Amino acid sequence: MTAKNAYNAGIMKKSGEAFAAEFFAEENQVVHESNTVVLVLMKSDEIDAIVEELIMGEEAKRNPTLVVEDRGGFWWIKADGKIQIDTEKASDLLGKTYSIYDFLVNVSSTIGRAYTLGNTFTITSELMGLDRKLTDA
Amino acid sequence: MALSTATKAASDALGANRAPTSVSPQEVHRWLQSFNWDFAQNRTKYPTKYHMANDTKEQFKLIAKEYARMESVKDERQFGTLLDGLTRLEAGNRVHPRWGETMKVASNFLEVGEYNAIAASAMLWDSASAAEQKNGYLAQVLDEIRHTHQCGFVNYYFSKHYHDPAGHNDARRTRAIGPLWKGMKRVFADGFISGDAVECSVNLQLVGEACFTNPLIVAVTEWASANGDEITPTVFLSIETDELRHMANGYQTVVSIANDPAAQKYLNTDLNNAFWTQQKYFTPVLGMLFEYGSKFKVEPWVKTWNRWVYEDWGGIWIGRLAKYGVNSPPSLRDAKKDAYWAHHDLFLLAYALWPTGFFRLSLPDDEDMEWFEANYPGWDAHYGKILREWKALGCEDPKSGFLPIQWLIQNGHQVYVDRVSQVPFCPTLAKCSGSLRVHEFNGQKHSFSDDWGERMWLSEPERYECQSVFEQYSGRELSDVVVEGHGVRADGKTLIGQPHVAGSNLWTVEDLKRANCVFADPLAGF
Repeated sequence: MTAKNAYNAGIMKKSGEAFAAEFFAEENQVVHESNTVVLVLMKSDEIDAIVEELIMGEEAKRNPTLVVEDRGGFWWIKADGKIQIDTEKASDLLGKTYSIYDFLVNVSSTIGRAYTLGNTFTITSELMGLDRKLTDA
Repeated sequence: MALSTATKAASDALGANRAPTSVSPQEVHRWLQSFNWDFAQNRTKYPTKYHMANDTKEQFKLIAKEYARMESVKDERQFGTLLDGLTRLEAGNRVHPRWGETMKVASNFLEVGEYNAIAASAMLWDSASAAEQKNGYLAQVLDEIRHTHQCGFVNYYFSKHYHDPAGHNDARRTRAIGPLWKGMKRVFADGFISGDAVECSVNLQLVGEACFTNPLIVAVTEWASANGDEITPTVFLSIETDELRHMANGYQTVVSIANDPAAQKYLNTDLNNAFWTQQKYFTPVLGMLFEYGSKFKVEPWVKTWNRWVYEDWGGIWIGRLAKYGVNSPPSLRDAKKDAYWAHHDLFLLAYALWPTGFFRLSLPDDEDMEWFEANYPGWDAHYGKILREWKALGCEDPKSGFLPIQWLIQNGHQVYVDRVSQVPFCPTLAKCSGSLRVHEFNGQKHSFSDDWGERMWLSEPERYECQSVFEQYSGRELSDVVVEGHGVRADGKTLIGQPHVAGSNLWTVEDLKRANCVFADPLAGF
């Protein structure tokens, strides 16, 4: 069974006429609100370790909807709600100083509202600044 | 000694806002915000019909020091990889020739987009009234400069290390004759920097960056890797590491106007126009580059589009904003039709006009054709049939004198250029959305291919006056136009554009002249 957030989940499993039928179905001619977020991480020594240990480890335990896929040059990660990475934990893992700005060196794309606070990087489906205020501390 | 007013003000401010006791960048960022200028009465050279609130936040809390350190690490990794490891591995010549040609278009065109985005984000810096928002836009200006250099470097690298440098080295000299250039300028230049400042932000950040950079800069790296290109992922994924901040800038622009009554009145129209403007060009061009400009296919373009444009951008950005009055773009239905068919339509025309390009195109082989039919049922009977006929008539052979553009005209398939998007179309062959319509204004005739562009033109006809190549060169012989438009290689006789990617049997100016192809303005008949 393909996880619902997988790269080739849902309609993406279909091909040819079956794909076209769903793609052009009347109900799919408008956008549908989604509570998911997508995070694209460019591969590097640090990111590969963070993905394996932190994202596929404790973050996947916290959020079982999280899916990680290897797409060649990058890791493609999708989950319901939010994904959080604590760079202090990454620092411990890597054995060197590793700040939020070091992490941002390899964050290639985000779909959702991404923000930093202290040592934590968050991508959330919440509308930050509208649903909830962005804070400084 | 008495303190000057300025020194006293600074001392008082420091007294009220103690300097951080640690060097945490985020603490420094917070501290710096307390010294902001008051931009509430911001005067700008670039006004907007919206009122931008002055308390909007910047999501990544950048300070100059951390920004510079972060970006220098990115550059060190990129150039280190390219100039050391990849050169040693001879990466430039391991790229499949079809993909090497695709990168002539992708990187040269993206460079133009990045260059214009410098101006666009500087304009938004001037228009915004929230200090943190200005900080975000200012970092974006610097990012766009970096990206312009990076795109230039990709083509420079390929020029030195790829077996066919023509087109990587100086594509811009062909900009007057290549039909793809003008549409690119419409999305990458005009859409980003002309008109209302917030409307430009919607074009650049909310649609261009949050939506189309994902296929253009992220998904493209999957295709690159599959086709032996290790250069593009190294550079483009690094470019995209800045784009998430730009997407946040676009989102915060929407946040800053969310409570303005003007947003209720204008935002949905601006969003729909921006979506249509961007998709009208990117949908067919990216699909064509990926599918026809590769040997090894990752997935059908329509699936890439469905994931990044429809499900993720549509659902996670636009769908989530519905409760704040943002609607699904009404042009989405037509955009989906384009996602399925428009790139096949465009390939027919791009191939038909190959002498005007700065890249080589190649016909799909039997394996490609089987793949197209399996993924786009009906492709073979419509497009495959024509491409096979062109091949049989010798379209690849310089001795044949056969040009597909002449075949199209002789068979009653007139090619027009949509005035608003500048995208060429052939109404009798196109399976994408839309149909031909012609208007006359100020003594000039204008062709359009769809409702959405036609509406934009009807409300601002003076904004869309760019001539098509058919109007510009009406009555001129094609080889003369190509020579005049610098479409010839350094030997002075071989064309840059070619209808195949083989290293020999290249078309020359003389071969082209033998075909005696003369441009005609299709609108002259109306």
